[in-house]
Amino acid sequence: MPVMLRSSNCVLSGKSPAEMSKLNECPMDPGGYFIVKGVEKVVLIQEQLSKNRMIVDTDVGRKGTVVCSVTSSTHERKSKTDVIVKHEKYYLKHNSFSEDIPVAIVFKAMGFESEQEFVQMIGSEEEVLGAVAPCLEECHKAGVFTQLQALKHIGNRIRQRRMWGGPKKTKVDEARDVLHGVVLAHVPVTEWNFKLKAVYLALMVRRVIQAQCGLVRGDDRDYYGNKRLELAGSLISLLFEDLFKKFNAELKKIADLTIPKPRAAQFDIVKHMRQDQITNGLVHAISSGNWTIKRFKMDRAGVTQVLSRLSYISALGMMTRISSQFEKTRKVSGPRSLQPSQWGMLCPSDTPEGEACGLVKNLALMTHITTDHDEAPIVRLAFNLGVEDIQLLSGAEITSKYVYMVFLNGNILGVIRNYKRLVSTFRLMRRAGYINEFVSICPNHAHRCVYISSDAGRVCRPYIIVNKGRPLVTSKHIQELSQGFRCFEDFLKEGLVEYLDVNEENDCMISLYEKEITMATTHLEIEPFTILGVCAGLIPYPHHNQSPRNTYQCAMGKQAMGTIGYNQRNRIDTLMYLLCYPQAPLVKSKTIELIHFDKLPAGQNATVAVMSYSGYDIEDALVINKASLDRGFGRCLVYRKQQCTMKRYANQTFDKVMGPMVDATTRKPVWRHSALDTDGICAPGEKIENKQVFVNKWMPTVTMSPLSSTDQDKQPEYREVPISYKGPEPSFIEKVMISSNPEEAFLIKILLRQTRRPEIGDKFSSRHGQKGVCGLIVPQADMPFSDTGICPDIIMNPHGYPSRMTVGKLMELLGSKAGVLDGKFHYGTAFGGDKVVDLSADLIRHGYNYLGKDYVTSGITGEPLSAYIYFGPIYYQKLKHMVLDKMHARAKGPRAVLTRQPTEGRSRDGGLRLGEMERDCLIGYGASMLLLERLMISSDAFEVDVCEQCGLLGYLGWCQYCKSSKNVSTLKMPYACKLLFQELLSMNIVPRLSLKRYNEV
Amino acid sequence: METPRPEGEAPAPKQQTMIYICGECHMENEVKARDPIRCRECGYRIMYKKRTKRMIVFDAR
Repeated sequence: MPVMLRSSNCVLSGKSPAEMSKLNECPMDPGGYFIVKGVEKVVLIQEQLSKNRMIVDTDVGRKGTVVCSVTSSTHERKSKTDVIVKHEKYYLKHNSFSEDIPVAIVFKAMGFESEQEFVQMIGSEEEVLGAVAPCLEECHKAGVFTQLQALKHIGNRIRQRRMWGGPKKTKVDEARDVLHGVVLAHVPVTEWNFKLKAVYLALMVRRVIQAQCGLVRGDDRDYYGNKRLELAGSLISLLFEDLFKKFNAELKKIADLTIPKPRAAQFDIVKHMRQDQITNGLVHAISSGNWTIKRFKMDRAGVTQVLSRLSYISALGMMTRISSQFEKTRKVSGPRSLQPSQWGMLCPSDTPEGEACGLVKNLALMTHITTDHDEAPIVRLAFNLGVEDIQLLSGAEITSKYVYMVFLNGNILGVIRNYKRLVSTFRLMRRAGYINEFVSICPNHAHRCVYISSDAGRVCRPYIIVNKGRPLVTSKHIQELSQGFRCFEDFLKEGLVEYLDVNEENDCMISLYEKEITMATTHLEIEPFTILGVCAGLIPYPHHNQSPRNTYQCAMGKQAMGTIGYNQRNRIDTLMYLLCYPQAPLVKSKTIELIHFDKLPAGQNATVAVMSYSGYDIEDALVINKASLDRGFGRCLVYRKQQCTMKRYANQTFDKVMGPMVDATTRKPVWRHSALDTDGICAPGEKIENKQVFVNKWMPTVTMSPLSSTDQDKQPEYREVPISYKGPEPSFIEKVMISSNPEEAFLIKILLRQTRRPEIGDKFSSRHGQKGVCGLIVPQADMPFSDTGICPDIIMNPHGYPSRMTVGKLMELLGSKAGVLDGKFHYGTAFGGDKVVDLSADLIRHGYNYLGKDYVTSGITGEPLSAYIYFGPIYYQKLKHMVLDKMHARAKGPRAVLTRQPTEGRSRDGGLRLGEMERDCLIGYGASMLLLERLMISSDAFEVDVCEQCGLLGYLGWCQYCKSSKNVSTLKMPYACKLLFQELLSMNIVPRLSLKRYNEV
Repeated sequence: METPRPEGEAPAPKQQTMIYICGECHMENEVKARDPIRCRECGYRIMYKKRTKRMIVFDAR
């Protein structure tokens, strides 16, 4: 079975950093992914609406009716049950019924024949009585008075399902079975006692009535308390269960077939077990991302993604990613917008732009996702605390206004008279550790209910408990924590800190800071910066930036080059970008320390002068100091993988590698083979240029048909299929790995290295969503310098600031400058960090201007600049987009076969397209000859013979239609046009050309 | 130009079997053309090539 890395079953679990490095693993690697078929795969967290909970939707459809729906999910099936309103009557809607069943009939079928009984279950208020009356009338009209009649009524409306075997059931039995096991499947019915299910259904009707009367508002589907997150564990367990059941079913089928037959040997079940079925199923699902479970009608694609290892942050950011099930095309803003209930649970900044905006989310720093917990002790505790069992109560007592109904994981437990005592005692018991810390309890006053949940997938986060206006965690505790006498688990165990899920959070008074605590406060936020996720945590002073800038940075931080792990040099990735001299940021945040970004950084502290220079800095372009580049600023390593396999073919022939071809006169290898060793594979350390060969592979010409007997003795013929290097810049061979894999006999992996220094057009970005390309590289002699002789690495145009409003970047500069002068790191933690006044004081102490501005002399004229320049270090990231990977030009080259037009894209050496809009310009200008040249002569000009008589295309001056060559003339047209005519002809549409001499028009 | 020879046959001027380094125990292993790739010491199936003996010149940029 695929094992999640660093999970309890993984060899890496519980290993110390030293042991990890001994195993060639990075101790900073977060784990949490799978390695399947040599690819690192992440199972994304899936967000969905919670199961087994009533959701009242107002405003459904065109008429805006009210619907109460429940998606029941048990271990064997998933089904959706609705209570709907139609013509002021209430109906039960379910997939297994061919039409909607009036609720009154359903109650009768469940054995509640007395109308008083079930009306009381729904409620005894005036509004309820009025609303239910038409239903009774309908029931009477249908002639349903007894349970048997009701079951018959339902039995006639059951959608026929195909049944395999089993004795034929009567309609009545069938109806009873469906009510028992399919409708509201999650509500248990023991020994045909439908009481619980009837009360549940009654409550659904009651909710609809209340919503209609406006007593209770409908539920919000986007409210995060109504969401559940599915983690890899539950997804894999679902898949495993399905595969295991399939495995058992197949085994049973084989056994049933073979055992009855008389055999000599005894039936051995072990021989019939297919040992790789479950493994293959899991491997296939994880590697393709298609999660198909028939039992739950689940068919999801894209559940897994390849772990992106562009940088440490991108890998880490992928682990916290949540994808929701909504279609991207739907034009509703609800699920995309930031819900207030997501506060602290999901990162408000980290979401992609464009299509998936708001649908793909990221976890915040302290979020915890719950797992399933045993219900039995909770049930026992609830009954001990005064919950009265629903089985013993009549309708009037259930809906009485003196009681609250108690729910456990969506099922009715009973009613409670004093709900306040229940809730408070329950919480005390949880803090004392008698029940699991992730069980939540909260009253809902509108529903008059107490909801207890212990199910999996709820998001929650820890808070400090406040008692009588005092936080339980004191400075003594913090001291012990920093001394290592205490860990976070101790705080939980001692009841100083507790986890609150979204629902319970809304029943608490949480104060953000200690000074804001009043007597009503119940909890205190641990640290405000934890509402951000890992990607937004990198940004210094994010609370001073305009919000979309933080979102941009979250996307860009994942493209920054740097270090990806301590074992990065052992990896052979298809593409890996590393920075030569990465630096930890001068202004760091608590998040950076928590996720060890300072140990695996992606960027460098560049000294920035905010001024204009040379005009090559407009539109966010940067001017870079040439001497800085010589010293290694922004220098990066690009690793690329080349792979080749030696195959064995059906006719016993195989690929082989040959030594280098040797020049006859000089006895030296030819230039193309100059990097090869005697084994025909290039040697590590060798420089390899465009069109040089890595592996001199030869392949047999005939691979399919078996060799005839006469050919058997002589050598099969081979042809050359060399793996050669393509690229404008030479690479060096870093590493050559040789191995074998199960399918191919021989596997060669070659790791290529390029060291690149920044050039004009390479992309850089600070940590504030301020990206820019290098516009000019200037010799240090021409750069401006400050009175202390400091020369900037980067000159940035000040026009980048006013419209972007990234004040955080200005503050980062101050912080870095003060930090550099003092030789220490400053903090730019969100909602905190070092204050500008203190930073300014530091600057003054070192004799600098308190605003961070410096006196600067021009390097060109030697005169002082007429303004003071904002001058200091800012952490800059080099992004993976580099000119070298994108540059492309073509004069002539390959053409597409079908249209004879130039191919598309850089990888195919394609042409540069003169698009529709460019064409429109030329038309507008009237440059007809240029148009003709661009769109035909330089593209796919073709000479055709056209018959003037019939207007059809001819060939070789001959019109096949007219059987003459009299009126045939030759003209030039785009090949695509000729193709279009022919395709039209094939569809029985005749395009005819009518020709005129150009001077006679 | 001479026709290329498959290695192992014909006396090439500097013919020698290639030496590879085991990825696990760093043992030097001689592997011939169609041998299975397996370390003689530890049975590990991943080998790396040794660095070239030729001189490599880098641009100091």
